[in-house]
Amino acid sequence: MITKDKIDAFIKKIPPASEALKETLLLLSIGELTKAAKVAQTDLALKSYLKNLVNKPIYGFRHEVSETSQIFGILGVSSSQQSVYNYMISLLSPDTWILFKLNKHTFSELQARLSTRWGKILKHLNIDDKDIDSSISLLPASIIISEALFCEKIDEVKLLKNTKALDYNTILTRLCGIGLFDICEQISKKWEMPEKISNIIQAASGLKPSDDEETNKLGKWMHLLLFYELSQSTFLEAGLNDFIDFQIDYVSDVYDEFAILMNIS
Amino acid sequence: MKASVKNNIGLLSPQGFLDGNNTASILAKEDVNATASLKVEMVLVSLKKVIFFNKNGLDAFMKLFTAVRHKSHATVGFCDYDDTKYLAIKKFYAEDMNFSLFKTIDTAYLFTSNFKNQNKNILLYSSDNSQKTAMAIELHDNGHNPIVAKNQDDFNEKSLKAEAYDFIINQTFLGQMGQKIATRVTGNAIIYTVSSFLDVEITDKFNIEYHNNSLNVGFRLFIFDAYKVISMNVHALNFFSKLSSSAAEYNATVCFVGMTFEKTPKTFKENLEDAGILFYKQMDDILLNKDLLKELGGSSAANIKSKRNLNKQTITALPKFIDATVATVEMMTNSKAVKQSAKIDTIVIQDKLDKIASSIGYYGDLDGMVVLVFPKEIAKQACELLIGEKTDDLEMILDTLAELVNIVGGKIKTLLSDEDISVNITLPRTYQDVDSLIEVIEGRKGVQVDLSFNNNKFLFFLTR
Repeated sequence: MITKDKIDAFIKKIPPASEALKETLLLLSIGELTKAAKVAQTDLALKSYLKNLVNKPIYGFRHEVSETSQIFGILGVSSSQQSVYNYMISLLSPDTWILFKLNKHTFSELQARLSTRWGKILKHLNIDDKDIDSSISLLPASIIISEALFCEKIDEVKLLKNTKALDYNTILTRLCGIGLFDICEQISKKWEMPEKISNIIQAASGLKPSDDEETNKLGKWMHLLLFYELSQSTFLEAGLNDFIDFQIDYVSDVYDEFAILMNIS
Repeated sequence: MKASVKNNIGLLSPQGFLDGNNTASILAKEDVNATASLKVEMVLVSLKKVIFFNKNGLDAFMKLFTAVRHKSHATVGFCDYDDTKYLAIKKFYAEDMNFSLFKTIDTAYLFTSNFKNQNKNILLYSSDNSQKTAMAIELHDNGHNPIVAKNQDDFNEKSLKAEAYDFIINQTFLGQMGQKIATRVTGNAIIYTVSSFLDVEITDKFNIEYHNNSLNVGFRLFIFDAYKVISMNVHALNFFSKLSSSAAEYNATVCFVGMTFEKTPKTFKENLEDAGILFYKQMDDILLNKDLLKELGGSSAANIKSKRNLNKQTITALPKFIDATVATVEMMTNSKAVKQSAKIDTIVIQDKLDKIASSIGYYGDLDGMVVLVFPKEIAKQACELLIGEKTDDLEMILDTLAELVNIVGGKIKTLLSDEDISVNITLPRTYQDVDSLIEVIEGRKGVQVDLSFNNNKFLFFLTR
């Protein structure tokens, strides 16, 4: 159904980051917001993406923000870097979703929701680190990978899931010995993302706890945040609720804190 | 959200958070209809991977439960919860709890016909005395050995010696139990479970279409587990008499086990015996007596009546059947199929060594039977995907094969429905060797397609 060759072909097809993106990220990494905005606006697709993203209601700006320099100025270095990574991930998303009932708008909505709530979590945890801030952007890549690999076998996968309730990550791991989050890691390497990002993502799978205490803790929060968002109506209807296995035991020690932070009652 | 089916239980497994904001999205109308149409004994919602729920969140499933009970009379409820979740559910629905609660899915299995007569030692406790008694009776009736703790202290003390029990049940609640006629397969025998008063409703509760197709697939022994039957009226008598007469056309046998005639006229028994129905006191009288089993048709399944020719409709649909099979086996084994030959004749199996087989019947706008003959190696590969590990356990391999053939059947159903051809599928049957398969389909003409998966020869046979 899905072979290692198919996975390799998928990764090979991912384009390298453009020069403009690389330079934007480099400038952001040294805190040069103005220069980064100047470079970013030369990439019209990135400019348009950033404008659409920050004007979503979840960001809560009263007036439309349209200039890239304005956007970077409002977001700050960490969130600007995160937004650029979000853009890069969105480049991988298909024009038409088949496996999941998503579209460009709902996928971008998921990215925005994850990003803002991740920011809230990091603030609560007193963590100010732009790479950790950006790590959330890689998480939705796992959804794109599931879509890309499984969309041609949708009927077979549905029947298999009806028989055995297997999630996509388990199916992929059993078929090819490589999981969705391993592929996320490969994408992050291809795009030269900081290693910290892929480490957190691996921990956020809930299956590969990190030896590093902080990474593991962040993995737990991210895993819980993912399922909090995937329990929202739009994403339930999209069929995302069971795309990976929720590791309830893994997150049990941070749940109460999470529930208070997110006002869950 | 779709239910997965195992051991006669349809299980829904939501994940994450269940609250009032997402109730409408958890179960679409078509999901409710699909779940209500399942031919299962129980429909349960697992709360194992739900970290938060409130009453509004659970209410989404109440509509499902009503639909299931209305349509199929199956037992409904929740399972896989911890103490906090159990207390929360009891609090939410204190006044109106007409569904069941099973602490784990394994506890639920004990109350289904699939796990009958296993004589398990089960420690049992509920603070509600009527529940305690109801569970003890159900478990006892199901052929287990319930040990009822007198109170919480007694339960705590006994629980310390966990190794003395096969199962420990607490924080479980039996709501309205299912009234559906449960079906299970033991070897080549089909066992139906009937209970309480058998009257004219038996005609609605009994799936005659399924029964007829089981006859067509080759089942020859039908046992009615009637331990819990209180009485029978004349409508039920007529029903069973007719059932037995039609079974005789296939040289099949219908038996009743455990039926007492304390509240049923003795003449009814004579009438049923005249119709060819046999009566036994214990299930083991049949299942453990190999000679008797053979005599009754439960160990071999030679097909005597049904030797029908393939028709044009079946031939037209043939590519769909092959596509469904190939796609499923390719998916399960992650290998590519190569078609080697196709012919219309009786089945020919060149090399019978290390082969196992499975069949599944379909009925509706089209009817017939798909037979798949696997090298054990392919079945083992399929096992790896379904259970996540390699195994040489033949029983497990055959179980997996049954699941695989069930998937093939489901796929066929879907592909045919795209062409507006509506079919249902029977339970799959497995054969641990080729000879037992041949007994069923010998002399039947069909389409045989030889395929190869990674150089393993695989045989597809479609017959009526």
